[in-house]
Amino acid sequence: MRAFGRSGPAVSALGFGGHHLGEAEDEQTATRLVGEAIDGGVTFFDNCWEYHRGKSEEWMGKGLQGRRDRVFLMTKVCTHGRDRELGLRMLEQSLRRLGTDHVDLWQIHGVSFDNDPDLFIRPGGAAEALAQAKKQGKTRFVGFSGHKDPSIHLKMLATRFPFDSVQMPLNPFDHHFRSFERQVLPEAARRGMAALGMKSLQGRGDAVKKGAVTAEQALRYAMSLDGVTVTIAGMEKLDVLHQNLKIAQGFQPMTAAEMQKVRDAVKAYAGDGRFELYKTSIKYDNPEARTAHEFPIDLEQAEMKLILGASKNDGTPYPKGGAQ
Amino acid sequence: VTNRREFLETTGAGLVAASAGLAQTGSAGGVPHRPLGKTGLNVSCLGVGGYHLGAAKDLKEAKQIVDTALDAGINFFDNAWDYHEGRSEEWLGEALKGKRDRAVVMTKVCTHGRDKSVAMRMLEESLRRLQTDHLDVWQIHEVIYDNDPELIFRPNGAIEALAQAKKEGKARFVGFTGHKDPSIHLDMLARGFAFDTVQMPLNCFDATFRSFEQRVLPELQRRGIAPLGMKSMGGSGEMVRHGAVTAEEALRYAMSLPVAVTISGMESMGVLQQNLGVARGFQPMAAAEMQKLRERCRFDASDGRWELFKTTKKYDGDLGRQQHDFPTAEELPV
Repeated sequence: MRAFGRSGPAVSALGFGGHHLGEAEDEQTATRLVGEAIDGGVTFFDNCWEYHRGKSEEWMGKGLQGRRDRVFLMTKVCTHGRDRELGLRMLEQSLRRLGTDHVDLWQIHGVSFDNDPDLFIRPGGAAEALAQAKKQGKTRFVGFSGHKDPSIHLKMLATRFPFDSVQMPLNPFDHHFRSFERQVLPEAARRGMAALGMKSLQGRGDAVKKGAVTAEQALRYAMSLDGVTVTIAGMEKLDVLHQNLKIAQGFQPMTAAEMQKVRDAVKAYAGDGRFELYKTSIKYDNPEARTAHEFPIDLEQAEMKLILGASKNDGTPYPKGGAQ
Repeated sequence: VTNRREFLETTGAGLVAASAGLAQTGSAGGVPHRPLGKTGLNVSCLGVGGYHLGAAKDLKEAKQIVDTALDAGINFFDNAWDYHEGRSEEWLGEALKGKRDRAVVMTKVCTHGRDKSVAMRMLEESLRRLQTDHLDVWQIHEVIYDNDPELIFRPNGAIEALAQAKKEGKARFVGFTGHKDPSIHLDMLARGFAFDTVQMPLNCFDATFRSFEQRVLPELQRRGIAPLGMKSMGGSGEMVRHGAVTAEEALRYAMSLPVAVTISGMESMGVLQQNLGVARGFQPMAAAEMQKLRERCRFDASDGRWELFKTTKKYDGDLGRQQHDFPTAEELPV
């Protein structure tokens, strides 16, 4: 357990990722995953309005029935530059799906376009939604998340909005390439913000599959970083959950020498971002973000397939500037 | 070079572009020429892009495009070893048969981090396909990965091939190109090699977003390196198709920058004629007009939506992806 920011409650060092929960075999598996995670000592739960078109939030809500007060629940809002009203509408939907009257942390999702910080802080922008939700007690803390470039995170911090937390990719490859570890993590610590790590296996574990690093090394590395509060990991199957719990229970951080060894081992594969496609491509930028920014959509994306399956197949799933 | 003499003789009708300080020469109604950096060559301010040439309907149309371009005063022809598996070079070679000395021929080498010997082999293939014994300009293609400069400049890397080709007279001048990020271009320039040319995306959206115009162009001017512009309309005309600017505005803006040549893809006679409409007797935009266009484009520019070559994998070729162990274009389309 680690303190959430300077004065926040204690949360588990391993966090339960919402995106992968929506990829569980079925709802029953999902609720079981949530239950076993809680029993295993996980208290931090991640989610997002747009994950699997609401399925991730709904399944997590089911899994948390009767256990809401045992967890620190986070979800994210997907305005992607659009206005405050849309943000607040999304919050109401998230609360309903999650079966709760408040979240513990509400973050801006997918801050990954160069102009997102400007759009966030503009009059009538999503910054006002965060402030209002906090004031109304619908969230205890607020923050933002993104996976693209440390310079965009630093621009968000430079808006001087009083964020409680910041989420970012943290893994040994990141240390060498457009590094959040080196540029953003120390800045978060300096400001007393909670730092949430993600993508310890680079999103899909490509580097593990190709043998550049083991899953255990990668997760232990991310959890050992100085200043990181929670490492959020995707666990869509029970065996992945069990594997991660084994590492997290009684976790002892790597020594500095061990960490250096992991960094050295991946260095040759880090310099072009081949295993960090969330930085070097728009593969990990969800359809909601792409459409808001008028970027091409990817028909192969899981979310996109869901949307197309559920609508008229016209390729324009979201009315401009609004959510259903 | 015959071109140089010809055009110096026609400077009676020559003009100097006041707004951007462009030294243009050429006959009235023809496509103006500009100096190619410090090389002593003069090149047309509009160049024929090699990728699109290989996308012409057939060899006949490709030849017609090249002929018409030459007759209109265009002398700069772009190409690359990997365009359409060699077809772009082959068609250009066929089209320039008997006319080689009227053209400034550039092609690019696609080592993507591999060593000098790979580059020299590609050079021989390019020369054979282009049916010539020398290139006027040979450039390293697609310098777009953060570690490319390091790989290119390592011992026995591609940079040594450039030096050798120049020494052997197989390439008169050398340079590099890339479409991803100004910082990668600046890294290349900081490594102490005397490049003659540098190619980059230049358009009215680039002006305010990860800007080659702001960061690389002045550096080239300072060093006397010839700037070659490309992607004046976003790569596949994205900015035009979405109505953000007209094709004419976009091309005029790019050509009004202090570049030697703006390379444009013209896969049909129709597109060539449209571009010639802009390029014949070209007069650069006034500074105020350029500024107005930049301002108009500023918001859409700020997330890179019409410059997908900077913000997505869409324009990153499979050969480079392979060398860098990235997913293929089929696996990762954008």
